Amino acid sequence: MNSMLFSRQRTVLPGFKLTLGFTIFYLCLIVLIPLSAIFTKTSTLTWAQFHEVATSPVAMASYRLTFGASFGAALVNAVFGLIVAWVLVRYNFFGKRLLDALVDLPFALPTAVAGITLARLYAENGWIGHLLSRAGIKVANTQMGIFVALTFIGLPFIVRTIQPVLEDLDAEVEEAAASLGANRWQIFWRVIFPMLTPALLTGIAMAFARALGEYGSVIFIAGNIPLKTVITPVLIMGELDMFSYAKATALAVVLLVISFVLLLVINLLQWWSSRHHEHL
Amino acid sequence: MSVEVKNVTKKFSHFTALDNVSLKVESGELVALLGPSGSGKTTLLRIIAGLEFPDPGAQILYYGEDVTMIPASQRKAGFAFQHYALFRHMSVFENIAFGLRVRPRATRPPEAEIRARVDKLLKLIQLEPMAGRFPSQLSGGQRQRVALARALAVEPKVLLLDEPFGALDAKVRKELRRWLRQLHDEIHITTLFVTHDQEEALEVSDRVAILRAGRVEQIGTPEEIYDHPASPFVYDFLGNVNLFHGRALEGSVAIGATEFVVRNQKEATAPAVAFVRPHDIRVMRQANGSASLPAKVVRSNAAGPVANLDLVRQDSGEAFTVQLSKEEFQQLQPKPGEEVFVQLRNVRVFSDDYSI
Repeated sequence: MNSMLFSRQRTVLPGFKLTLGFTIFYLCLIVLIPLSAIFTKTSTLTWAQFHEVATSPVAMASYRLTFGASFGAALVNAVFGLIVAWVLVRYNFFGKRLLDALVDLPFALPTAVAGITLARLYAENGWIGHLLSRAGIKVANTQMGIFVALTFIGLPFIVRTIQPVLEDLDAEVEEAAASLGANRWQIFWRVIFPMLTPALLTGIAMAFARALGEYGSVIFIAGNIPLKTVITPVLIMGELDMFSYAKATALAVVLLVISFVLLLVINLLQWWSSRHHEHL
Repeated sequence: MSVEVKNVTKKFSHFTALDNVSLKVESGELVALLGPSGSGKTTLLRIIAGLEFPDPGAQILYYGEDVTMIPASQRKAGFAFQHYALFRHMSVFENIAFGLRVRPRATRPPEAEIRARVDKLLKLIQLEPMAGRFPSQLSGGQRQRVALARALAVEPKVLLLDEPFGALDAKVRKELRRWLRQLHDEIHITTLFVTHDQEEALEVSDRVAILRAGRVEQIGTPEEIYDHPASPFVYDFLGNVNLFHGRALEGSVAIGATEFVVRNQKEATAPAVAFVRPHDIRVMRQANGSASLPAKVVRSNAAGPVANLDLVRQDSGEAFTVQLSKEEFQQLQPKPGEEVFVQLRNVRVFSDDYSI
C-alpha cells in the first residue's frame, strides 16, 4: 500500500503520460526529424569530401565571423540591454510605455526589412553612414555592419529576460546591504548583479543563438565578400543556389554542432550560477 | 546616552503614517514598538534606520549626534527584516562578513580578523556548523539568526528589528524571542523592535511603546502598561477584554442594578464602559451577598490550560467570556443554559465613546 503511494504520485490534474507522449511526438516531428535529415544528407558525402567542404578557407572564415560577431553582439547587448532593462524597471518617466514597446521591434520586424533599413542607414550616403564615414568608419559591407545587424536583432532577448527578474528583486535586500554600510556601487556589484547573472546568461544564450542563425538582416548590410563578410548561413544559401545540397548540409552540421556545444556550456554556466537561487 | 527621535512626522500622499512622534530609547535598553498594522511602527523604525526620511522639522539623534540627514549606509544601525533579506547567492559566512568586506580599505579589518569575528558571531547564534550553507538550506528561525548576526557584525550603534519573528511559526517564535532576550542580556546593545504581538512585546522588552494611528499612545514597562493602561485602546490591545455598559459613579460603576468598585477614578454619572479581563471574573452558583450580576451559561470549553466560559447577562443580554482555572471549572461544572452569578474584579472605566 505504502509503496503504491510513493511510486505513483497522484496529482489533481491527470494526463502525465498523455502530455509526455505528446511532447516527445511533437519534438520529434518539429525538431528532431528535420535535424536528422541534415545529418543523413551530409552522410552522402565521403569523409574526405566532408572535410574539404567543412574546412575550406571560405568556410573557416565564415565560422570565425559568424561565431565571433554573434558572440560579440550578444556581449554588447548584455551590457546595454541590462541598462535598458534597468531604466525600464527602476524609473518612471514620460514615454516609458512607448520605449518599452520599442524594445520588441527587432522581434516583430521582418528581418529583411531590418536588413534593408540598416543597410540604407549605414551606407556611405545614409543618415548615419555619412557621419561615420567622415570619421573614417565604414560600416556597410564590412564585418562591423554584420555586428551592427546582429546587435539590433539580439537586444530584445536580453531586455526581456532580465526585466522580470529585476522587477521581482526584493527591495529589502538592497536596503539590508545599505544598512550594512555598502555604497551604491557595492550594492550593485555585490548584491544585485549576482542575482541577475542567471537571467543575464539566459539572455546572452538566446541572443547568441538567434544571431547564429540570422540571415535576412545580415545579407543586405554585409556585402557578402568571400573570406571577409560572408557568414555561414549565407554560405549555405550559396551552396543551395548551386543545388549542392550535400555541401550545404555539411556546413549546416558544423554550425549545428558548434552551436549546440556552446549553448550547452552556457546552460551549464547558468545552472551553476543559479544553484542557490531558490526563492527565499 | 540614547537613541532619540523628536517630532517625527511622515506623510505619504494621502496618509499620515506618523504624527509628531517623539521617543527616547536609553542606552542598552530593549524597547518594543507595539501596534496594529497601519499604526506607523515600521515606518518609525525605517526612519530611525535611515531607510526612510521624515518630513522637515524632525530630528533623529544617536547618542546625541544628529543623524537626521545621514543615509542608512553611514548610520551604523543594524537592521533585521521580517523576511530576513539575506543575500541568497552568499554562504552564511559571507552573509555575516558582508558588512565588514564592504568597508573602505582604510577601515576594513584584515581577512584573519574578519574570519575571527564571523566565527565568533556564528558561535553566538549557535550556527557554527552551518557556515558554508546557503540561506536556502536553512530553516526560517536559522535564517533570522543569520540576519541578526549579519547586522551585529558591523558593531552597530543601535539594533533595529522589524517584526523579526513575524514569519515564523508559533513554537519557533517563542524559542527565538527568549533567545533574543538572552542575547540582549549578554551584549546590551540598544535595541528597538517592531511587533504586533502583545505577548511578544510584554515578554521580551524592557519598555513598550504602543502606537496607534501614527501616535505614541503610551510608553512604559510591560507591567506599567498592562496594569495601568492609559486608554481603552491600550487596554484592549494588550489582551482579551469584556465590556459592560453602565454609569460611572464616584469610585465605582453601576452595571445594571449592581455597583462594582473601580480601579481608576472617574467623575460621577457619566455613561461609561467598564473593562474587565476574562480572568478577573469570578463565577458562582449562588449570589453570596457581595456585588454580583446574574448570567446564563451559553457554552463552555475546557480544552487547553484554562477553561473558557461564554456567558450572557440575564438583565441586558450582553455577552462576555470568562477564564477559569481547571480546578474552578471542575468545582463549578457549568452546563449550557444554567444560571450563575459573576463578580467583577479589577474593573476599569472609560468614557462611553470608545468602540472595539
